[in-house]
Amino acid sequence: MPLHLSPRIGPELRSALAETVLLAQLSDALGSPLGVVLPQQLTGNVVAFRSVFSAHRLSGQIYYAHKANRSNALVRELAATDAGIDVASLAELQHALGAGFVPQRIVATGPKNQEFLWLAARTGVIVSADSVAELAALAALVRDRSLPRVRVMARLSGFTSAGVQLNSRRSRFGVSVAAASEVLDVIEKHADALDLVGVAFHLDTIGLPEKVVALEGCLGVLDECRRRGLRPWSVDIGGGFGVDYLADGAQWEQYTSALTEAVLGRRAPLTWNGHGYGLRAENGHVRGSLNLYPAHRPISGPAYLDRLLRTTAPEQRRPLGTLLLDNMYDLHVEPGRALLDQCGLVLASVLEVREDANGDTIVRLDCNARDVSLEEHGVLMDPVVVHRTTPAGPGPAGAYLFGNLCLEADLITRRKVFLPSLPRIGDLLAFVNTAGYLMDFSATQALRQPIGRKVALYRDDGAWRWCLDEQYWPVHHPVEAP
Amino acid sequence: MRFETMTEAIGNTPLVRIDPAVHGLRNIDLYAKMELLNPFGSLKDRAAWNMARPLLTQAVERGDTVVELSSGNTAKALAVIAGMHGLTFKSVTNRMKVAEIKDLLLLLGAEIDELPGQAECLDPTDTDDPLTRMYHRLAGSGGGYLHTDQYFNELNVDAHLNGTGPEIVKDLDGRAPDYFIACIGTAGSSTGVAAALRQHNPDVRVVGLVAHKSDFIPGIRTIDEVHEVGLFDPDVYDTVETITADDAIDGLLTLVRRCGTLAGPTGGGAYQGAVRHLRAVDAQLAERRSAVFIVCDRVESYLSYLRERRPELFGRAPRRNSLRTVTDAEVGQAATVDVAEAQRWITERRGLVVDLRSPFAYQALHIDGSINIVDELFAELLHGGLPFGRRQPVLLVCPVGEKSARYAALLTRMGHPDVRSLDGGIIAWRDAGAELVRD
Repeated sequence: MPLHLSPRIGPELRSALAETVLLAQLSDALGSPLGVVLPQQLTGNVVAFRSVFSAHRLSGQIYYAHKANRSNALVRELAATDAGIDVASLAELQHALGAGFVPQRIVATGPKNQEFLWLAARTGVIVSADSVAELAALAALVRDRSLPRVRVMARLSGFTSAGVQLNSRRSRFGVSVAAASEVLDVIEKHADALDLVGVAFHLDTIGLPEKVVALEGCLGVLDECRRRGLRPWSVDIGGGFGVDYLADGAQWEQYTSALTEAVLGRRAPLTWNGHGYGLRAENGHVRGSLNLYPAHRPISGPAYLDRLLRTTAPEQRRPLGTLLLDNMYDLHVEPGRALLDQCGLVLASVLEVREDANGDTIVRLDCNARDVSLEEHGVLMDPVVVHRTTPAGPGPAGAYLFGNLCLEADLITRRKVFLPSLPRIGDLLAFVNTAGYLMDFSATQALRQPIGRKVALYRDDGAWRWCLDEQYWPVHHPVEAP
Repeated sequence: MRFETMTEAIGNTPLVRIDPAVHGLRNIDLYAKMELLNPFGSLKDRAAWNMARPLLTQAVERGDTVVELSSGNTAKALAVIAGMHGLTFKSVTNRMKVAEIKDLLLLLGAEIDELPGQAECLDPTDTDDPLTRMYHRLAGSGGGYLHTDQYFNELNVDAHLNGTGPEIVKDLDGRAPDYFIACIGTAGSSTGVAAALRQHNPDVRVVGLVAHKSDFIPGIRTIDEVHEVGLFDPDVYDTVETITADDAIDGLLTLVRRCGTLAGPTGGGAYQGAVRHLRAVDAQLAERRSAVFIVCDRVESYLSYLRERRPELFGRAPRRNSLRTVTDAEVGQAATVDVAEAQRWITERRGLVVDLRSPFAYQALHIDGSINIVDELFAELLHGGLPFGRRQPVLLVCPVGEKSARYAALLTRMGHPDVRSLDGGIIAWRDAGAELVRD
């Protein structure tokens, strides 16, 4: 029985995939791989997050985590909405400013060098500081260069819970909440240079309980601020809202059960060289844990935020959303992946289709595992076959997808993928819903293979149009009727 | 019966026949092994005591902490046993999903360690399962722990091989039942009981029940999770069938409402799975057969679990003066005042200002002279009637003026002639630059 993991495809992405002639022309003209982004889809995603804010009567900003995709078009389209942007490098800050974001809509996060700090302070974006040392360096920069007072957020970590000890993975970012008073001391000491506007956290977990503890911990620190006479009015809870990648949860359950059986040797391997995705067999029992993104996540994106805000805070015993509102705090979020849901795909052309000696079907693609980083991010999701003419054979066809690097490890997926129909040489595989982190996040020019080009696909008067990603702006050229 | 300690009361539970009028099987006598009558409340009392007993003397000498990866009944039994011997108990858990059990463990003096959730961004180096993480932690601590290791400890199976199983045979007049149906958790009880029964009758059919993958049934593992259990051996079971949380709750309701058995969801699942499996068999039978399932624990610890999944079971008559009954039209007619007018009203000390926000938020910053009655408490007070006189003018304050308007409408309907809501709430007050104080 074929173990499909069919991607969840929304109406816009489905309509774009139906433009098979256009997609083939684009691939022929611009090469393989080709990133395709759908900037207009972003607007709807912003609205969906915004509606959660309204339902909870909360104010605050939705900062798009730029690092999820380097596209110009996405950032420029976003500049046309009311959302903000979270930049994590000097170049991302320059890009955001150039795309039309005013500094009020930008927050600078992550590890920062002197140049990044200077441009952030000079333009007046919010600086989300990682450490006491960063705050001190920023204050010195402001004083030495006679810059205006900078709005700062303090990123916290190491939250603790009472009663039940809730463990979180150690983070390299943020100041331990136990040392929060040191942050406030520095801010008070440099009151002329630093204006504390809020506190922040980002936990790399899908676990709601840890975020609940962290958010309530932030409320405690904000109370300490008020005791000291500081008046920050916001909490930034970072990202990690997630995406539901699969159309059918039952397929995910079937697949993961089958993988467990395959690891135990009770069925034929589903993966190249019996790779277990974190699972291994020891004396007939399964060890390890499934090291995959939970591709089926029915509560993700805006729904996850809503769930978090409805959760009762363990200490104060009131829903977190209500507590934020009670305290008049703004809520800021930094979604990356979730904001880019349904915003793009990667096209790769088929170079070879063959059967190898032990009967496996091999489909070799003109792209590598860095161009479609499904494996790197542990997302298991089938590609869509875009035929130029007719299928080479009836489906479903189980195949391994090889990349174009001269490396044993260059597999686009390490599992056997069941394609709905067998492609011919020159056909395209479309890896859909890959705009968030899975497009060219870590693409390289290793072996002098080119990094794929990127186009923006957009609707103008109902029809699909395209341009190079760097030429896209959210104003479209009028076409005069003959 | 006279005992020296409560641990002597573990085991020797009754085997009770389920009324055929309830299950409807014509040719099969269905018996329930009432493990819920163990002193600490579950089947796990047997395994916990059997695993801990041989190690206790040394552990007491050293002052060890008893530790186990459990979020349920084993943790509960071990916490009691540890307490009886002056030791502390630490429960390490992936995620404790049942609130009552968490609270009960804290009440018993246990420490609870919850392991981190899965990373949102994949970390390829993180491939350890909770059990391996716990082993690392114990190894790194350099001793001081009594780890009962329920998923791998043969003494877990042994408790049922020499206890639960032979008791069933004895109560069936020396014969093993034809069918044994068990939910699979640690696999200890099903493996042990099955082995004991097969010593008497190798043809006993053993049905294992696992939870549907997308469901959560406390104490039952899913088909994938059972493979992680060291004691799980697929050959023990003639067949492994799936039950859903809905099945478990249906079975629980039958047991608690019709069988005088206050069973939890595991017992309910075992009953429902047993009847479903046996119904198919029953139709083909010409002679009488017997079947046994286990009622693992009691219902009281799962009220929040049931409330979440079947809220209709807890339906109560609506209370009077409920905020939910206020219509949008009534809210539209409620009196509101803007910030400037409210400032005048307050300066002239015209009445009572009630802040409906949380005490924490109120204490941080509030309007000078206001009193704090958090909305939940205010709603509770209103069920009983007006908490202030009709001649007492009132201004209600909430975050954005929405809740306060609803309460103003409700108070108006209750006959209060002089109540108003701050338009835009305390956020509008702040944004207008009006004064906020803290004590």
